Amino acid sequence: METKKKGLTLAGKQLAAGWLFLTPATLLIFVMSFWPMIQAFLTSFKSGKGVNIHWADPLFVNYTRMLQDTMFIQAMKNTFLYLIIQVPIMLILAILLAQLLNNKDLKFKGFFRTCIFLPCATSLVSYSLIFKSMFATQGLFNTILVNLGILKENFNFLGTPWSAKLVIILALIWRWTGYNMVFYLAGLQNIEYSVYEAAKIDGANGWKTFWNITVPLLKPTIVMTFIMSINGTLQLFDESVNLTKGGPAGATMTMSHYIYNQSFGQGVGNFGYTSALCFVVFILVAILAVINLKVGDTRD
Amino acid sequence: MTKKKNRSMIQRRLIPTYIFLIFWAFISVFPFYWMITAATNNTVDVARGVISFGHDTVINFQNLLKSGQDGARLWDSLRNSFVYSIAQTLICLFICSLAGYGFELYHDKYKDRLFGILLLAMMVPQVATLVPLFTMMSKMGLLNSVGGFVLPAISTPFMIMMFRQNSRNFPPDIMEAARIDGLPEWKIFFKMYLPVQKSTYAAAGVICFMNSWNAYMWPKVVMADNRAQTMPMFIANMAAGYTVDYGMLMMGVLFCSIPTMIIFFVLQKQFAEGITGAVK
Amino acid sequence: MKKKLLSLVLVSAMATSMVACGSGAATTENGSTGSAPAATEGEAGGHKLTLWAWDESFNIPAMQAAAEDYKEVDPEFELEIITQSQSSDVENAITNAGQSGDFSNLADITLFQDHYFQQFCVNYPDAWVSVDDAGVDWNGLGAEKLSYSTVDGVHYGFPVDAGTAIMAYNTEYLAAAGYTLDDVQNITWDEFIEIGKKVKEATGKYLLCMDGSGNDFFYMMCQAEGVSQWKDGQPYVTENQTLVDIFTVQAKMAQEGVLYLANDWGDYTDQAIVGDMVAGVYNGNWIIPTIKKVESNAGKWEIVPAPTLTGKPGYASNGGSSLYITSNCQNTELAKAFLAYTFGGGSAADGTSLTYDNALLNGGVIGTCAAAAKSDVYQAGVDYFNGQAIYADIVAYTQNVPVIEQNDYHYTLREKLSNHLISVVNGEEDIDAALAAAEQETVFAMQE
Repeated sequence: METKKKGLTLAGKQLAAGWLFLTPATLLIFVMSFWPMIQAFLTSFKSGKGVNIHWADPLFVNYTRMLQDTMFIQAMKNTFLYLIIQVPIMLILAILLAQLLNNKDLKFKGFFRTCIFLPCATSLVSYSLIFKSMFATQGLFNTILVNLGILKENFNFLGTPWSAKLVIILALIWRWTGYNMVFYLAGLQNIEYSVYEAAKIDGANGWKTFWNITVPLLKPTIVMTFIMSINGTLQLFDESVNLTKGGPAGATMTMSHYIYNQSFGQGVGNFGYTSALCFVVFILVAILAVINLKVGDTRD
Repeated sequence: MTKKKNRSMIQRRLIPTYIFLIFWAFISVFPFYWMITAATNNTVDVARGVISFGHDTVINFQNLLKSGQDGARLWDSLRNSFVYSIAQTLICLFICSLAGYGFELYHDKYKDRLFGILLLAMMVPQVATLVPLFTMMSKMGLLNSVGGFVLPAISTPFMIMMFRQNSRNFPPDIMEAARIDGLPEWKIFFKMYLPVQKSTYAAAGVICFMNSWNAYMWPKVVMADNRAQTMPMFIANMAAGYTVDYGMLMMGVLFCSIPTMIIFFVLQKQFAEGITGAVK
Repeated sequence: MKKKLLSLVLVSAMATSMVACGSGAATTENGSTGSAPAATEGEAGGHKLTLWAWDESFNIPAMQAAAEDYKEVDPEFELEIITQSQSSDVENAITNAGQSGDFSNLADITLFQDHYFQQFCVNYPDAWVSVDDAGVDWNGLGAEKLSYSTVDGVHYGFPVDAGTAIMAYNTEYLAAAGYTLDDVQNITWDEFIEIGKKVKEATGKYLLCMDGSGNDFFYMMCQAEGVSQWKDGQPYVTENQTLVDIFTVQAKMAQEGVLYLANDWGDYTDQAIVGDMVAGVYNGNWIIPTIKKVESNAGKWEIVPAPTLTGKPGYASNGGSSLYITSNCQNTELAKAFLAYTFGGGSAADGTSLTYDNALLNGGVIGTCAAAAKSDVYQAGVDYFNGQAIYADIVAYTQNVPVIEQNDYHYTLREKLSNHLISVVNGEEDIDAALAAAEQETVFAMQE
């Protein structure tokens, strides 16, 4: 009886301690992320600007409005194009680089790892300036291509819709491949070497080992990087603003950039409408993340 | 003899690997080279994409020192950035490691569910939070203060997740043993858990410091005072006039990039280990 | 059940302690950086004001000149200038303050873009202070300029830079194609295109350039014709023959290689102008410092009025900003006195104004104050422009700029027209469809 009572209080103490440990972080997230999101949800049913804001009539006008908003639809298409093209290329490259670096016979591993990770430690201003000037009409890239005879005359990379999109995709790949590679490399180092030895004895070749052993064992990491990349791409803002300002003619504008412009970039913000747009982006990201988790999570 | 031969054969087979890695490393590093050369050139040369070293280093540096208003020049901005970033990193590491530890080592289904909900916060678009957070900070009187700068960024689902994953390596037996010895729960965290998670703290610290150092959108909203200006704000002020001095700007960018790079170089071994724990 | 209750109690206890702990930490941190809120020093009877401005090579020297000038009236006067990276920083700060109802983060005085002021004044009326009683002779400050800073007949702003448009030519490149400056005066845009083709052939340079993502030609070229892009508060595009012609001319210029439409602002200034890709620049006079960056072209540039559709000289304005007192200013008397004396033209009463002279000398800022333009500084010839007295000329242009209907959605329409012009140049759209789409998209954006 005595011991049982003591055991209960001990368990109670432990329980209390567990909750106590995660309370500060949880409270902060609720106050700093969820509360603003709830406010945005309420605002999304209002229209008017500044002091003239009022409940919308009809209530869902901001949500029906976006169906006719050609610029937003264009921005949505652009964002999904980046998602479909850039995320797989980047992640495959990252796995490939990690696989190459995970070779125990390779020399200068630390050097290569550092170099490849470096881009994501750069400040955004410098990286966008550098890319902009490299792809400028008179810039380095044009000079090289013209001298090699691939181009006849200087090409306006950032001023042509398809190539401007391409530059953004290249910039994203440049900046984030190394970051993702670090996660894969770490994942690979968690795989016991004996697993590979066994596969070798069974006569599996490089590709087979990769598909049958590496990929399944890396699955949690792959799912995690996928979610991070999807989230990052759907909320893509910096590259669109700094590299192309969304141009030419909105051809590279992303959803977040468009929302920002509607709130802060062009005169008095229409916060009712932008809140509705924010909410749609939030739902989209959440849906994709859930799908990803369901596809990736075979453990339970 | 055969061993040596074998080794050189392995190296020879790795030649394509080396070529690809050198290629990618070159692409990764080239913009840094460009940034350094640009800091030595004058504005017209930078705009024209000259990639060799120039003779304007001293002038660019002098102009950079003169740039900005009193109390908001290069050294002031650097100092501010250090103060905010270090404060944010330390508080973030403490709060998130505590939470990661709590979620993993005391886990039950309620906490797991809560964790799932917290992950949703990753998907909240930043634009949506700007005005509500500004209102909140102004009501708490935190505008232009370190508190206002760090509060929205010190608890992130990603950091909690990282610590939670790494906490899986922490054997529960040790906790039990410590409890039997009569150690209170919070002491277990400080005395047993914290010392063995050094590399996790290093990895999370690098990422947190990088995010904090490069943050722009929120600091711009909350730090209106000149004297509270950060390094990215200082650079942005130079980068967006009717006319821009690119030589000076790139010199500033160099100053802005060096701290994050140094931190990464110094901590890179621990960084790699910490990430390894996180993806286990 | 008991467990749940217990945890609930614990959570709330933790929450209270967290809040207490959080605010405690914040105050000490606040103290340690020593950063004070933006604008608390300006108490009544003090001598200090804070001011927001955004370009260290342009309008900030003008603000410094004004602060220096006012020291003659109040030797203890001190102006703290806070640099912003661009004009939108100020707009965002007003938006945040207006949305939250907390204006304490604003500076006492702020520079603000002319085209945006009206809508920020209507939607955030609590942010601004009327300056009707500042004792300024408004007649001498340029009617067109003041029309931006006056809402319902109430004055809010003091004009800083004029924004009067100039058409600048590199005479060396013109000469290479066999033209002189006389050949490009009083011409139509069609004649301009013919000259442009020859110049391109002879020198490889474009005769004209513009930022294609924020194309100001629509506004400037319309204004030069005395026509607005707006009619009764609605976009006036497809029915507006002048605008249709201007759109067509620009498309033709771009397709013929006469006009370089830059990708963005940086491309326009750094590649097109500083990169010496062009033989002509048409924009607000604040573009002059950018032109002057290319030292090797000194003495080659000159300015004239722009071409028009009919061939009469074209006068327009573009850009420009004014100074406004915010509601956070605790010492409005000092702020009004300071602004009235400096940019309000008070110190120009004796014929020269230190404010306007030094603003021009140090920043290249050309004011709209007629009295200040009589000074030696304004009348002097400029070596870079072949000794031409460009500042006096620009002030003369200013008198001819027609007042036209303005609209809060100026930049929205500009963006739509810019985007659709690029689509037309790229061959993705025909002109009629482009104009119709631009008009319709603007109407859509104006719905609230």
